[in-house]
Amino acid sequence: MSILTELRIAAVGDVHLGDDVQGKYRARLTGIEDRADVLLLAGDLTRHGTIAEGRLVGQEFRDLPVPVVAVLGNHDYHSDLQYEIMSELRDNGIIVLDDESAVITCRGARLGVVGGKGFGGGFAGKCASEFGEREIKNFVHHTRGIADSWQRALKELDTDYKVVLSHYSPVKETLEGEPLEIYPFLGSYLLAEAVDTVGADLILHGHAHKGAEKGMTPGGIRVRNVALPVLGRAYGIYCLSESDSC
Amino acid sequence: MEAPQYVAARVQRALAEDDRTHELGIRVDVRGDQLFLRGQVTGEEHRRQMERVAQEAAPELHVHNELQVVQVREPGEDEHLD
Ligand SMILES: [Fe+2]
Ligand SMILES: [Fe+2]
Repeated sequence: MSILTELRIAAVGDVHLGDDVQGKYRARLTGIEDRADVLLLAGDLTRHGTIAEGRLVGQEFRDLPVPVVAVLGNHDYHSDLQYEIMSELRDNGIIVLDDESAVITCRGARLGVVGGKGFGGGFAGKCASEFGEREIKNFVHHTRGIADSWQRALKELDTDYKVVLSHYSPVKETLEGEPLEIYPFLGSYLLAEAVDTVGADLILHGHAHKGAEKGMTPGGIRVRNVALPVLGRAYGIYCLSESDSC
Repeated sequence: MEAPQYVAARVQRALAEDDRTHELGIRVDVRGDQLFLRGQVTGEEHRRQMERVAQEAAPELHVHNELQVVQVREPGEDEHLD
């Protein structure tokens, strides 16, 4: 078995599949095994979060020659059928992360992926806090809970590579192009802070269709917005090289 | 007469909340009796639905559908992170 010196991660989010594009995205995945070792899906896989759309996503990404790991996005939660959609995807062999981790072995290297939908709240200095009305507290509390569980999951991982997969953004930089007024609904710095505390090789997210591809956390972890309208290509490919290879 | 900002906000909300569209982040501008939709959607049928929903939310306006369908090109260059 050949030992990996580099791990190639294909990633895309916000494919927002519906009847009218069925099979079209799948066609773009031909040959993915020559380009990447794993495919990560950064949420908003459907438009309305219906079971029918969930099934469509399952069919579009099933039986690929590389493992597929997904998180859901806010659109996939819209019909309150997120758990049904998760099982639909899992029935099609897709690993779905709901604030948890998964370990995949790619040609001898172990990749740990931690993630989930994430949530909003804004960015340091310009964000909501757990104060005042119950509704505001709930909003921030939801994000904080998610950040805590990612931090815990990352800490428990003992793999060669660690990647965080989210729908919402952990940083502002990859939102550039979006109206400033909606930043608090696009992400939260709490997600970045949690990951910076433990460390990871890369953070991938979607959600900000008008944002920018490249950014970085305050701790120096690379962030990539892989929303399909941002990439304009079937998926981005990010290669991680082993820092402590001999 | 209703202020154009409120009309635009109503159309934007309809696009986000209507079961046929659920599209956020679309730019809606009203100039006189003209309404402009700008942004990106993922399919041709979806693009037409957007126009339909916008027209229903503002029946008195002439809708210009300037939405684009996201083009999915071949995956490009790898990026090496080290
Ligand atoms: Fe999206
Ligand atoms: Fe989203």
